[in-house]
Amino acid sequence: MVNFLSRVIIMSTPLLLGSLAEVYAERTGMMICAIEGIFLIGAWGGFVGTYLSGSQVLGLLLAMGCGLAMAALYGLITVYMKQQQVVTGTALQILSAGFCSFFHRVIFGVPITPLQIKTLPKLPIPLLSQIPFIGQILFTQNILTYLAYILIPLSIYVLFHTSLGLTLRSTGENPEAVDVAGINVNRVRFFTVLFAGALGGLAGSFYTVGYLGMFTTGIIGGRGWIAFAICFLGNWNPKGAVLGTLAFGLADAVSVWIQAVGRSEFFPNELIIALPYILTILLTIFRSNFNVPAKLGTPYSKEN
Amino acid sequence: MKKSNVLIYNIAAVAIGLLISAAMLLFMQIDPIKVIGEAGRKILTDKYTTGEILVKATPLIFTSLAFAFTYQANLFNIGAQGQFYAGSITAVSLSLALGDKVPTWFLLIIVGIGAFASGAFVGALIGLAKAKFSANEFLVSMMSTYVVNAFMDYLLRTVLKETKAEYLQTDPIKKSAYLPKIVNGTRIHLGLILAVLAAVGCYVLLYKTPLGFRIRAVGHNPNAARLGGIKPAKIYVIAFLIAGGLAGLAGLTEINGVQHMLLQNFNSSIGSFGIGIAILANGSPIGCIFASILFGFLNVMGTTMGRLPGLKIPASIIDLIEGIVMTCVIMSYFVRSWADNKAQKRSIRKVGE
Repeated sequence: MVNFLSRVIIMSTPLLLGSLAEVYAERTGMMICAIEGIFLIGAWGGFVGTYLSGSQVLGLLLAMGCGLAMAALYGLITVYMKQQQVVTGTALQILSAGFCSFFHRVIFGVPITPLQIKTLPKLPIPLLSQIPFIGQILFTQNILTYLAYILIPLSIYVLFHTSLGLTLRSTGENPEAVDVAGINVNRVRFFTVLFAGALGGLAGSFYTVGYLGMFTTGIIGGRGWIAFAICFLGNWNPKGAVLGTLAFGLADAVSVWIQAVGRSEFFPNELIIALPYILTILLTIFRSNFNVPAKLGTPYSKEN
Repeated sequence: MKKSNVLIYNIAAVAIGLLISAAMLLFMQIDPIKVIGEAGRKILTDKYTTGEILVKATPLIFTSLAFAFTYQANLFNIGAQGQFYAGSITAVSLSLALGDKVPTWFLLIIVGIGAFASGAFVGALIGLAKAKFSANEFLVSMMSTYVVNAFMDYLLRTVLKETKAEYLQTDPIKKSAYLPKIVNGTRIHLGLILAVLAAVGCYVLLYKTPLGFRIRAVGHNPNAARLGGIKPAKIYVIAFLIAGGLAGLAGLTEINGVQHMLLQNFNSSIGSFGIGIAILANGSPIGCIFASILFGFLNVMGTTMGRLPGLKIPASIIDLIEGIVMTCVIMSYFVRSWADNKAQKRSIRKVGE
């Protein structure tokens, strides 16, 4: 049970980081449709950085840098060139898939055995990890999970209790008003996208540096889109993102558990895998009090 | 705006994209000109390989149409992958059930209708969600792909599992259920003609019929369309139904034309490539044919380069090339509108003087 719940937390960490990145960006009106690509390039950057330098810190930094670079390209095209976010995101997703597998080959050739890196160590927090049951689940994780814990209250505070948060949210709801207040709308959006890209890259690196210790091109396998969906599911709110993340993390862990105990003959674990997606669809359909940022997906230009 | 203008910018963008991609080969210490020349010669001299271009293009025409069609109504159908899988499941089930029992032409018609219907069913559900509950069609269509994928995995593990029960795939379908080949010595099959007809059909439907006018009107301005007596909700469902059906037909061409069985995760990227192709074609159905052939060519180019002896070019270079080309094309739309804007301003200034 402890192992199972601990796994829920592990599977949830990157999704939470990714969906928080998405919450920030979408509050300013920018959907990060390239999130799948950002996850992948982050995973790759984390692996390459760690493998070549031997330092996980440098690996994580490279992951953030890669995510940032991808986000910068995305921001350039969508914010300043005002192109469709959905199609740009799709293009960049394919680009980053090709980029990662191509340069993986350029750097490492065709290794005979899969390359491995050491994963981030578990850092039990003194005292807290001693709490029976909960301590092992919540407080015996790696540094990225703790970062996710910190980001939850921090994001709520920043988004809803600071003037920066007000600016971010207004940029998504009423960019004209923000512009009149003398704030550069496009710059706010661009820098938020950059921040989200760095966070998304870090989230992606969790899969390589934090968890598996190796890289394959299919390592993300749609989880970036899940983070994207969680943001919708969570009503563009960090609190909602936590709930959504746990739902997906739980489903992920349950389906692995069903496979592990070999009960898939009796119970279709595919249903469990599909459940969060079905849930997302149903919630999107039946929730009336959706809090969609008014200008989500709309480029801003001053009338001239 | 003149039409030729778009084409020139598109061609320039593709050319720039290809140049950048070719330069990437330098990272592998490979002479791009030599390799591309060699691969190009192989593609053009070997009939089978030349044919592969059109074989690869066939499903892409369908999935790109699936995006382009709803795009005309200003809707994003990014679930073509799921609709394609839905079509594939039906195509393989019907082919397995009816193979050798009914005449080929009859079977193919039944399978075609079935594949279209199942894709259309998934599509229509998305359209309904949009129409009835004004759900975000982008998100719903994306999630639907994963649901259909899970459903397909389930079927492959249980009902449709091959008799040997070794891999997650179905038994091969009977020879009599194959789509007939139309060019000897290649794998080009009847599906290509079907795809071209579908694209032409989409063009006629969108630009020459009242329904097409309504779809485009809703895409242009739903409120104005509503005032004009058009029901946007109805249009959403119809547009998604047709788009889903088109993607479903790719199931027919891939199952009965190429793979002859259903495998786990097969053709897993034709959905997203379809979006790129539709963008390259600027949402035009006829353009989708040519853009799909270009992507088919790039695809074959990538695999051919990967098979050149002694170079070890990863086949994944194709993703890189296509990603770069797509990014360049998207940027070219900006450059074009920027250039147009400038020209317009200049002409206004001239009038002012």
